[in-house]
Amino acid sequence: MYRNRHVTALPKPFLFITTFLFVTIAVYAQTTIPVKGTIRETGTQKPVAGVSVKAKTANIGTSTDENGQFSLLVPSNDILLITAIGHTAVEQPVNGQQLIDVTIATTSNALGEVVVVGYGAQSKKSLVSAVATVKADEIKNKPVASFDQQLQGRVAGVQISANTGIPGDGIFFRIRGTTSINAGNDPLYVIDGVFINNQSLQKITTQGQANNPLADINPADIESISVLKDASATAIYGARAANGVILITTKRGQYNTLPKVNANAYYGSSWAPELWDLVTGPEHATIINEAWINDGKPASTRPFRLKSEGGRGLPEEQPTYDRLHDIFRTGNLQNYDLSVSGGNDKTRYYIGGGYNKQQAILRTNDFQRASFKFNLDQQINSKVRIGSSNLLSRSYRTNARVGDGPQGGILQAALHTPTYLPKFNDDGTYAKWAGFDNLDVLIKYTDMHSTSIRYIGNMYGEADLLRNLKFRTSWSIDYNDYNEYEYWNSLTNRGSASKGLATSSISKNAIWITEQTLSYKAKPGQHSLGVLVGNSVQGAVETVTSAQGTNFPNDSYKQIASAATTTSSSSSAGNRQVSVFGRLEYNYGGKYFAEFNVRGDASSKFGTNKQWGYFPSVGLAWLASEESFIRDVNAISTLKLRANIGITGNQNGIGNFASRNLWNGGANYLDNPGTVPQQLGNTGLSWETTRQTNLGIDLGLLKDHISIEFNLYKKYTSDLLLSLPLPVTTGFSSISSNAGEISNKGFELGISTTNISNRQFTWTTSFNIAHNINKIEKLDIPVDASYSAERMIQGYSMHSFYVYNQLYVDPQTGDAVYEDYVKDGKITADDRQIAGNAQPKYFGGLNNNLRYKGFDFSVFFNFQFGNKIFNNNRFFHESGGTRDDRRAINKNQLNRWQKPGDITEVPRITTLGTNYTLSPVSRFIEDGSFIRLSTLTLGYTLPKKLTTKIHTNSIRIYASGANWWLWKKYQGPDPEINVTSDPNVQGYDLGTPPQPRTIQFGINISL
Amino acid sequence: MQSGISSIILIGGLFLLSSCKKFLEETPNNALPTNKSITDAATARAAIIGAYNSVQDYYAASYPTLGTITADNVIFYGTLSQYLQLDQNAIPADNVTTVAAYQNIYKAINSANSAIAYVPEVTDPLLSAAEKNKLLGEAYFIRALGYFDLGRGWGGVQLQLQPTTNLSAARGIKRSTLQQTYDQVLNDLIKAEDLLPEDASTRNRAQKSTARALRARLHLYRKEWAEADKYASQVITNPKYALVTPFKAFFTTPFGTTESVFELTFSANDKNSFWNLWYPSSAGGQYTLKPSASFVSKINDAAIGGSRNSLIAGTGDNVYGVLYNTSATSTDPSYIIRIAELYLVRAEARAQLEDLNGALSDLNRIRNRAGVADSKAATKGDLLQAIENENSIEFAFEAHRWFDLVRTERVDDILGITNKNYWVFPLPYSDILSDPDAQQNDGY
Repeated sequence: MYRNRHVTALPKPFLFITTFLFVTIAVYAQTTIPVKGTIRETGTQKPVAGVSVKAKTANIGTSTDENGQFSLLVPSNDILLITAIGHTAVEQPVNGQQLIDVTIATTSNALGEVVVVGYGAQSKKSLVSAVATVKADEIKNKPVASFDQQLQGRVAGVQISANTGIPGDGIFFRIRGTTSINAGNDPLYVIDGVFINNQSLQKITTQGQANNPLADINPADIESISVLKDASATAIYGARAANGVILITTKRGQYNTLPKVNANAYYGSSWAPELWDLVTGPEHATIINEAWINDGKPASTRPFRLKSEGGRGLPEEQPTYDRLHDIFRTGNLQNYDLSVSGGNDKTRYYIGGGYNKQQAILRTNDFQRASFKFNLDQQINSKVRIGSSNLLSRSYRTNARVGDGPQGGILQAALHTPTYLPKFNDDGTYAKWAGFDNLDVLIKYTDMHSTSIRYIGNMYGEADLLRNLKFRTSWSIDYNDYNEYEYWNSLTNRGSASKGLATSSISKNAIWITEQTLSYKAKPGQHSLGVLVGNSVQGAVETVTSAQGTNFPNDSYKQIASAATTTSSSSSAGNRQVSVFGRLEYNYGGKYFAEFNVRGDASSKFGTNKQWGYFPSVGLAWLASEESFIRDVNAISTLKLRANIGITGNQNGIGNFASRNLWNGGANYLDNPGTVPQQLGNTGLSWETTRQTNLGIDLGLLKDHISIEFNLYKKYTSDLLLSLPLPVTTGFSSISSNAGEISNKGFELGISTTNISNRQFTWTTSFNIAHNINKIEKLDIPVDASYSAERMIQGYSMHSFYVYNQLYVDPQTGDAVYEDYVKDGKITADDRQIAGNAQPKYFGGLNNNLRYKGFDFSVFFNFQFGNKIFNNNRFFHESGGTRDDRRAINKNQLNRWQKPGDITEVPRITTLGTNYTLSPVSRFIEDGSFIRLSTLTLGYTLPKKLTTKIHTNSIRIYASGANWWLWKKYQGPDPEINVTSDPNVQGYDLGTPPQPRTIQFGINISL
Repeated sequence: MQSGISSIILIGGLFLLSSCKKFLEETPNNALPTNKSITDAATARAAIIGAYNSVQDYYAASYPTLGTITADNVIFYGTLSQYLQLDQNAIPADNVTTVAAYQNIYKAINSANSAIAYVPEVTDPLLSAAEKNKLLGEAYFIRALGYFDLGRGWGGVQLQLQPTTNLSAARGIKRSTLQQTYDQVLNDLIKAEDLLPEDASTRNRAQKSTARALRARLHLYRKEWAEADKYASQVITNPKYALVTPFKAFFTTPFGTTESVFELTFSANDKNSFWNLWYPSSAGGQYTLKPSASFVSKINDAAIGGSRNSLIAGTGDNVYGVLYNTSATSTDPSYIIRIAELYLVRAEARAQLEDLNGALSDLNRIRNRAGVADSKAATKGDLLQAIENENSIEFAFEAHRWFDLVRTERVDDILGITNKNYWVFPLPYSDILSDPDAQQNDGY
C-alpha cells in the first residue's frame, strides 16, 4: 500500500466543472510512461468508478471505468491528483511506477454526488428539490424492453405498473399521483437535452393496448436517469412539467482513455407462472342445464340432453379443450450489447450497438430491437466545445389483438371460448364459436407487425464567453417513422367475409427543438451564485398515411396492391411552442441554499385569449450538518432540510386545434364529400396548473452507513382539462375546457444502509415506500372512464370503481341482493356507488445487494398495497348461464347457490332477473395488493489473474430471474394488469396476459 | 468571437420575439372554422352531405337494433350487455345503444339546423335558387326525420332548432310533449315537401315523395287516419315506386329498387357492417341479433311468411337474419321507408276509417307479393290485427315492430311489459347530469 497525502478537498461543484472543462492542455515533451491502476474505496475495497485521475503538472487526466481502473500516459516524475465526489482527494507521486493502485476514503457527506437537473448538473449537496437518480447499472437485470419499466419499485413516489406481460407494450407511470383526467399523466422525458415523444404512434389497433415508444431506446446506452419530482426541480420545464420530468443521460467516452470495449450478452426463457381456472366441459354443461331448469323451462328440453333427443349430448359426454395452454408458450429472450468508448485530450466518443429479442409468453407477440448509439464531444479550443448525441434504432414487433373485443382477439379466443366446444367442425374445417376466431387459425395466421425507426439526435456548441460565463446552443430532433401492417386472411373473422383484409399505416412524427442558454457562475467569498437564462423554440408535426384493402385473390397475396377494393387516407397536424426560462441559484458558505426558477411557455395549442403561461418556483435548503453544533453530534453525519414551492403546467392532452370552433371533413355520403360540425371551441383553453409544495429532509447517520431521505408533498392541480359533457341537444358530445381540480398529497421515504462493508464482504440494502392520497376536489359533472366500471366523481379518488353493490346472496332464494343506494325501492343506474379504487395506498421496493469476493448477489422486491381490481373476466366467466355457449365459465361459478341454506357470494344460476345481468357489480372487485420478487441475480466475477491471462479486463457471468415469487389475493393470474392503455382506466382486467417468469444467463466482458 | 456570438444571440432573440406571434399561428389543414363552414355552393353541398352522413350514423345499426331486439321477432344471442338489456326491456339510462342513437340523432339535427340557418345566406352564382331550395328542403327533411325518430323512441324531446355555435345556445330548452315534437316534425315536412324536387329515380336523398311518405307515417302515428290515407296514396300512385318481386330483390344488389322510397346508400368507402351483428361466428359475424324461434316458425309457414322466408338462412339452432347480407363488401343500405309500408299505412288508416275493402285490398297487395294468399279478415278488429301481424313479418328486421307496438299500445299484450314507463327509452344518464333541462323519462 502506498502512503497517501491527503489534501483539502476543493468545493465539489467547482471540481466537477474543472475536470469537465480543463483537461485539454497539451502533454509536455518529457519522459512519459504508461501508468495503470485501480482506485478502491478505503475499507470496502470496492472499485470506484468515475474518479478523476490527473497528472498535476502535465495537466492531463482521465477518469476510472466501472471497475475503478484507469490508464494514462504521464511524465514519470509527475504527481497524480486523484479526486472523486464524495471522497477525500489524494495526491500520489508517480515516481516512475507503471502500476499504481490507490485507495481513497469516503468523506462523511454522502451529498457529494452530482445530480443531473434541468439544463445543468448540481451537486446533491446544493439541491433544494426532490430529485432521485438511478444508475442504469442498478436496474439492468430486469428483462423488459424499456428503461421506464426497469425503474419499477426503484424510486420512492414513482408508481409503475405493467399493463400486460407483452414486451414493448405501454406501461402505467405516475410520479406522485394522478394529476389529470384528459391531459395525460406521463412525465416529460428528456434524453441528452432532447424532449422526446413517449406517446404511441400506433394506429392499427391491438384492442386497447399500445406500444411503448420508449422501448426504442436501448437501456444499455443509458448512464443514469434523474427523476425530477417536485416543483423546484421541474418548474424550469414549465407547461409540461406537472407530472414530473425524467432526464436520461446516455453514456459518453472519457478524455485521455484508451479504447475500452464492453460486451454483454444474455440468453433466457420466459413462461407464465399461472393461468386462469376454467371449468371442464361436463361442468359447463351442468351449469347451463341448471340455468335452464332454474329459469322454469321444461327439463325435457334442457340444452344438454341426449343427442338423439335433439340436445347437445349429456353433460358427462362433453369433452374439454384446453385452449389456454395452446396460446401460452415458453418465450425466448436474448440480448447482445457491444460498446467502445474512449478519447484523447480533445475528443471523446462512445459507440454502442445492441440487439434485443424477446418472445412474449403469449403467442405471436415478439419484440426485437436493433440499436446504434454514437456520442461525440470535441474541444475546438480552450473556450469552444461542440458535440453530438445520436441514437438510431429499429424496433420490430409482431403483434396480436391481445385486449378487448372478440374479433381477432387471440387471448379472448383462448380464454373465453367455452371449453367443451371443439376446435374443428365435423367436416374438418376450423370451428368458430361465440363471435371468437378459431384459436388455431389465429395462432397460425395472425399477421400484424410494426417497424419503428427512431432517430433521436442532438448537436450542441458551448463557448466560454467570459470567465464563468458560458453560452450553449443546442439543436435537436426526435424523428420516428412508425410503419404498421396487418393482414387478416380468409379464415379469420376479420378477413373471412371480405376475402382478406389488409391495413397499412405509416405515421411520421418529428419533434424539433432548439435551445440557447447563457449561464454564469461566481463565488465571491462565502457567496456562491449561479444564473441561467435561456430560450427554446420547438415544433412538432405528425403525418399519417393509411390504406386498406379487401378482396384478395387468395391468402398468398397479402399486399394491398393485390386487393380488388382499396381505400386510403392521409392527415397531418402540428403545433409549435416558444419558451423562455431562467434559474438563479445562491448559497452562502455551503450551508444556506436558495434557488429560483421560472419558465414562460406559449403554444399554438392554447386558446387565443390565453397564449402565455408562466411557471415560477422557489426553494430553500439548510445543510444543518455543516453547523458546528450538529457537526459535533457524532451519530449525525448529514442533515439537510429542504422546502420549496412552485407552479408547473400540463398541456399534453390538448389537441392541436382543440381551442377552435371547427367543421371537419370526411363525413361523406354517396361518395360525395361531406362536412359536419366537429367541435365547439374555447378561446380560453389553456394548460393545467399544478401548485406543488415539498418539504424534505436528508439524514445520514453513522458516517452515512444509514442514509434516509424523506419527502412530504402536496400537489394541487386546477384548470383541469376536461371534455365537459354538453347537453346532447347541442349536437356535440363535449367541449374542451379548463374546469376541475385534483389534489395529491403524500410522503416518500427512502432508506439505504450499508450493513456490512469490508474487503471480503459487503451488504447494502435500500428500501423505499410511498403513500399518496388522491382526490378529485372539483368536478361539476362526473366523468365515466372508457370502461364504465370506473367513474370520476368529485370528492373521490381517480380510478374509483362505480358499481352496483351486491350485499349478499339470499340464503333462502339464492338471489343476489343489491344495495338500493338511493332508497327508491328499485335497482336503477342511480344505485351505483363508489366501491374502492385502483390506486395503491402504499407502494415501493426493497433491494439487497451482497458481494462476497468475486460473487455478487442481489434480490429485489417491489410491492403495492390497498389497490382494487375490477375483474371483468369474472363478469363474463361467471355469468350464470346468461351466455350459454358464448362464453367460457370459470371454476368460481361452481360455488353458486344451489339449495336453501347455501352461503355463498355466487348467486343462483339463472338468465332471468338481475343475478347475472346487472353490470358492473361489486362482486367482481378484488384486492390487487401484491409483493413480487421482481429480480434475483447471482453473479461471479472471474479472478483478475485469470482474466489477465486471456487478455481481458474483467469477466462476469451471472444468472438472473424475474418474477419468481408473487404474493397476491387476486383471483386472476397477475394483479399487475390493465385492459387498455387509456390512462383514465386503471386496474380493469379483461383478458390481459400476466407478467412472465423469466430466467436468463449472461456474461459481461470488458477488454 | 465572443462579441460575434453575443450579437447572434441578441439578433436572434429580437427576431424571435417579433415573429413569435406569427410563429405560433398553426392552421388546420383538414377543417374549417365554423364561421366559414357554409359560405358557398361547395360548402353548402358538403354540409348537407354531412347531414346525411349523420343520419347514416344512427340508422346503420343502432336505430334498427332499437326497433327489433326490443320486440318479439329478434332475440339477444351475443355477449355484450347493452343488447341483453334491450332484449330484456330492462334498459338502464347508460345503455350504450340508446345513448349512441340519441346523441347521433341530435348530431344530424345540428347539421340540419346549420344548413337551415346558413344556406339561405349563401350568395354564390354557382348555387342556383333551385339547388338552394333542394338543399334546404333536405335539411328540413333530415330534421323532421330526426325529431320523428326521437319522438317515437323517447317521447316528447327538447326541440333545438338553432345551430350550436356557442355554449349559451344550449341553455333553457325544456322537453316538449310528444304532440309538440310531432307538430315540429309536421312543420318541417310541410316545408320540405314544398322545397324538395321530385325526379323519377332518386331514392337515397330526400324528394317530395320522401317527405310525403314520412308524413303519411307521422299521421298514422298521430292517428290522423284521413291524412295518413291521403299522403300514403300520393306516394303509392307515384309510378316511381312499385313492390318488387321476388321479395328478396330489394335487399340483394343492385340496391335502390323501385321498392325503396328512402334508403341510405353505403359503399366501399362508406361501409355498413350491420350484417356483422346478425351473422353467426361461422360466417364471420357476432350473432348478437338472432331471429326468435317463434318468428322463425312463422316466417317458414307458407301461409304467413311466404317468400319472405328469404329473410333468414341457416338451419336448426343456427338460423340467422340475412336482410343485411353484404358480408363481403359491407354495403347494405339502411332501409328507412319502403313502398310496402305505405300500403300497410293506408290499409291501417282505411280500416280505421271503416273502409274495410280498401284496407283489405292494400293488405293483400303486400301478402300476394310474398306469395301469401289473401287475408280472411272480415271485421275491422280482425283486419287491424292482420295488418299488425303483416307489419311484423314484412318489416321484421327493420325499425318497425317495437314502435308499432308502442304506437298501438300493444306492448303489454305482446311483450308483457305492463309498466308504460318502459315503453319509451331512457334519456342518456350523462345528459341528465350535463343538461339541467333534460328531464329523465319516468321510471328510469
